[in-house]
Amino acid sequence: MQLSLHGVVPLPLRDKITSTSSGIWKQQVSYNKGEFIFVQAPSGTGKTTLIHILYGLRKDYEGTVKWGDNLLATTGDELFADLRTGDISVIFQDMRLFPELTAWENIDIKRRLTNTISEEQAHEWLDRLGLKDKKNSSGATLSYGEQQRVAIVRALVQPFDWLLMDEPFSHLDHANTQKAITLISDVVRQHNAGMIMADLDANNYFPYTKTILL
Amino acid sequence: MLKRLLLGTQHRGRLWAALIALCLGTTLLLLSVMIWWNFNELLYGKGQDDSLGSTFLIIGKRVTDQNMGVPNATIFQPQDIEALKQAPQVQDVGVITSNHFPIYAMMGGQLPLATDLPLESVPDKFIDKMPADWKWEPGSRDLPIIVSSQFLDIYNYVFAPSQGLPQLSQSSVKSIALNLKVGKGDRTETFLAHVVGFSDRIGSVLAPQSFIDYGNKTYGNPGVPMTYSQVIIKAKDPSDKHFADYLQQHDYATNSQNLRWSKVRAIVEVVTSATGILALLLMGIGTLVFILFIELTIAKAQASLTLLLQIGYSPRYISRFMTGRFLPLILGTVVCSMAIAAAGQWVAAVNARTQGLNLPLLPGWPVWAALALSTAILLVLVTRSISAAIRK
Repeated sequence: MQLSLHGVVPLPLRDKITSTSSGIWKQQVSYNKGEFIFVQAPSGTGKTTLIHILYGLRKDYEGTVKWGDNLLATTGDELFADLRTGDISVIFQDMRLFPELTAWENIDIKRRLTNTISEEQAHEWLDRLGLKDKKNSSGATLSYGEQQRVAIVRALVQPFDWLLMDEPFSHLDHANTQKAITLISDVVRQHNAGMIMADLDANNYFPYTKTILL
Repeated sequence: MLKRLLLGTQHRGRLWAALIALCLGTTLLLLSVMIWWNFNELLYGKGQDDSLGSTFLIIGKRVTDQNMGVPNATIFQPQDIEALKQAPQVQDVGVITSNHFPIYAMMGGQLPLATDLPLESVPDKFIDKMPADWKWEPGSRDLPIIVSSQFLDIYNYVFAPSQGLPQLSQSSVKSIALNLKVGKGDRTETFLAHVVGFSDRIGSVLAPQSFIDYGNKTYGNPGVPMTYSQVIIKAKDPSDKHFADYLQQHDYATNSQNLRWSKVRAIVEVVTSATGILALLLMGIGTLVFILFIELTIAKAQASLTLLLQIGYSPRYISRFMTGRFLPLILGTVVCSMAIAAAGQWVAAVNARTQGLNLPLLPGWPVWAALALSTAILLVLVTRSISAAIRK
């Protein structure tokens, strides 16, 4: 599935963007499945806005965004649900877990949607990220680092062509970051998927095929 | 998990209040339809029982100072009968045939009675309580007759006490045989008459049509055409102004008791209509309360709902889940309302029977239709409100 952006300008950032140059805003770009895109974005340049636009959470922009043949501006709720369960997955910067559910339930509620990843596999991924003893802890009681690791596993328990990541390791120490990178790489490779990684600073977490300054 | 996320904040007290409101509204709607239908059955039904106020009226031409003594002035001509059939509210017209031959009744035993006895006949479909053995054929000596209930009342409450005679129940009267001598001079026949039924509708003594026809032909005046001074009509609504005007314009007289019952019926209709409107309002309020409860539940789970949609749950899936949760509650409420209505119908039928009225033990089709319609509307409204609240 190809991602195409044409002249995209978020309305809240319109004044700021017209005075600066960007590798994505106002540009005509397209990325193919399997590409590893790194979007380097200093604070306030619209990194989270970009991820939210690509994931269909925001529609306050000019220009067009297309996933394959689907024009996001006119895509309905049901089709978005299909895209979010079969084509695009996301790791939010602010994690967005259900505080009422345990760590495992936060993953399982996503896993059951497609049932393409077994319970055992999901448990193993949680174990790999060091959350073996936290599976039954409520989402509200997990630390930010633990929440971020749960959010990473949750993003992986579905089929996808593209994985969108918004500062996915911002609350992780070096060791946990390495574990998460390995897991994400393994799963992305299994799906032959592409990724769009947005972060503040340059990094070599993944073998990026393109680096773009937002 | 979905239940915890979406319905975890559900307030049980509010849920019960909403269900009770819905149940009350539905029950009242069903009861009002049931009341309306029951009265309709009693008033317009095809049943033989019309003691709540008949739609059958006996009509005669009014005897006035002017037409008194004028031959055939109060006789119904064929064109009169045809015109009556076309009159407002009139559904059927039957002629009342009286005997044009002498009948002399004699009774022996404890009740020495000997009197001239006028007999009449009406088409069978106008008889309110049709006895099983209501038939007579030429050559038969036994003659079934139907007596007005009023006759027995007059005997039991007026004649018997004043004469020191025993009072008689309906069943004891049915066991008495009456000798009828028909004809005069050398040409006479005797019959053994048995009372086989009592009528609230006809105020005289009825014999089968075949007997009256036989007597008129055999012992009547040959060459004189048959005339009818009374007719019985079945009217849809005798309280209708156009019908009353028609009777007045043609100077027809009828038994006013029936018209009085018609007024009662009109009042009953107004009351049931008012009850129906009130029930519709209550049903509407009940539905509104229930829908508001659902919307409130969804609003309180808005954060979870938003996140579910963000991680890939479709609005349709969540709508189905929510509908699936509320559907059993709605159906349970509806079944409860129907059970109450059915119990009400059963109690009404049992009580009505003690009053001599026939009502079915189960609610009639309009009640079931109202149930189906109200449930369908309720389900559509609830489904749409859930869907709208989720997509909001």
